[in-house]
Amino acid sequence: MHSDPVMLLEGLVSIESFSGHERPASTYLADQMQALGMDAHVDEVGNAIGVREGAGEVTREIVLLGHIDTVPGDIPVRRENGTLYGRGTVDAKGPLATFVAAASQVDVLPGVRLVVIGAVEEEAATSRGARHIAPRYQPNYCIIGEPSGWDGVTLGYKGRLLIDYSLQRPMGHSAGAGASAAEEAVSWWNALSAHIAALNESRERLFDQVLVTLSDINTRSDGLTNTADANVGLRLPPDFDIEAFEETARQLAGDASLRCYGYEAAYQSNRTTALARAFNRALREMGEQPRFKVKTGTSDMNVVGPIWNCPVVAYGPGDSRLDHTPGEHIIVDEYLKAIEVLKRVLAIVQDGMASEDGSL
Amino acid sequence: MAVVSCPECGADVEVGDDAIVGEIIVCPECGAELEVTGLDPVAVVLAAEVEEDWGE
Repeated sequence: MHSDPVMLLEGLVSIESFSGHERPASTYLADQMQALGMDAHVDEVGNAIGVREGAGEVTREIVLLGHIDTVPGDIPVRRENGTLYGRGTVDAKGPLATFVAAASQVDVLPGVRLVVIGAVEEEAATSRGARHIAPRYQPNYCIIGEPSGWDGVTLGYKGRLLIDYSLQRPMGHSAGAGASAAEEAVSWWNALSAHIAALNESRERLFDQVLVTLSDINTRSDGLTNTADANVGLRLPPDFDIEAFEETARQLAGDASLRCYGYEAAYQSNRTTALARAFNRALREMGEQPRFKVKTGTSDMNVVGPIWNCPVVAYGPGDSRLDHTPGEHIIVDEYLKAIEVLKRVLAIVQDGMASEDGSL
Repeated sequence: MAVVSCPECGADVEVGDDAIVGEIIVCPECGAELEVTGLDPVAVVLAAEVEEDWGE
């Protein structure tokens, strides 16, 4: 058992947990949470779950939802000059370990349940862990475990759509008149990009724009048929009309096959909820000016936010520019500060709930 | 409870006794987000826009 939060995080990042292969890390984390005084287990889909309850009947619930999976890429775990290197230190085992440390140390008031969840498959388009727990909880407050920086609080994430494009054409002589499959694929991409540029007209903020990436494009031939395949990823603004967009994308694609999947709507909270105010207060108590932000990526907030419909923010130490990079690392001092911030936030939020209940 | 004037539309905005400097409140009239910049006397300004950041 690691009562030292740095040892806890180092132990967690030392266990590989690529999406779909999280079981050993989940078992480790559940064991750690149990040893730290939580009632912990690994659920049927592999989520690590730890619970602490105050005295009496539970009437209020706070869910701290992190994710335990990482993208692939083996980064040797090492500590160097106050910095911990390893896959997941930032995205998002650092934030998850922050949750465990804070939730195990803070006083839990009567009637309150704290739930820490290390969800599986957040990095996959499935978000399997979050979808599994979404109907099983109905929290009053939710904090998502993603790197915002210890002095930052994330209020929202863009939505997402993935598209697979595939076109087949009979082989022809290159001196012939018809367009090749590769040329048609490029034409589709150019037309799609132009359509998106039109949608973005007069939208200045990144959060309000459709951001599109041609992730992959290739051609192949078996001597009789040419095939062009492309993969496109889109980051979507809050007011995005998914049905109209898909219809346009299909019209532009002609007789190519188009598969649209992995759709998540954008989700945005605001700075005036009791939860955001608690972060504001906690950070200012620590002498820091909080930075509220929205992100171009997607997280499990997009999955549970619309279902739980409660105050939600994302929080965690680490620089999100290091997400998925070979140099992923976290500054240990920042990690420890984030634990202190979160302990204060949990205390403030619980006090607020107790006041509402008249139990103070 | 203090009452200040919204710098955007001039409407009356109530600031709770438990407000702290840095707190964000919303003008009930125009919806502008206001930041509490002082408590004695209570003062508010239009809040800076929420930052944008890359990644998750």
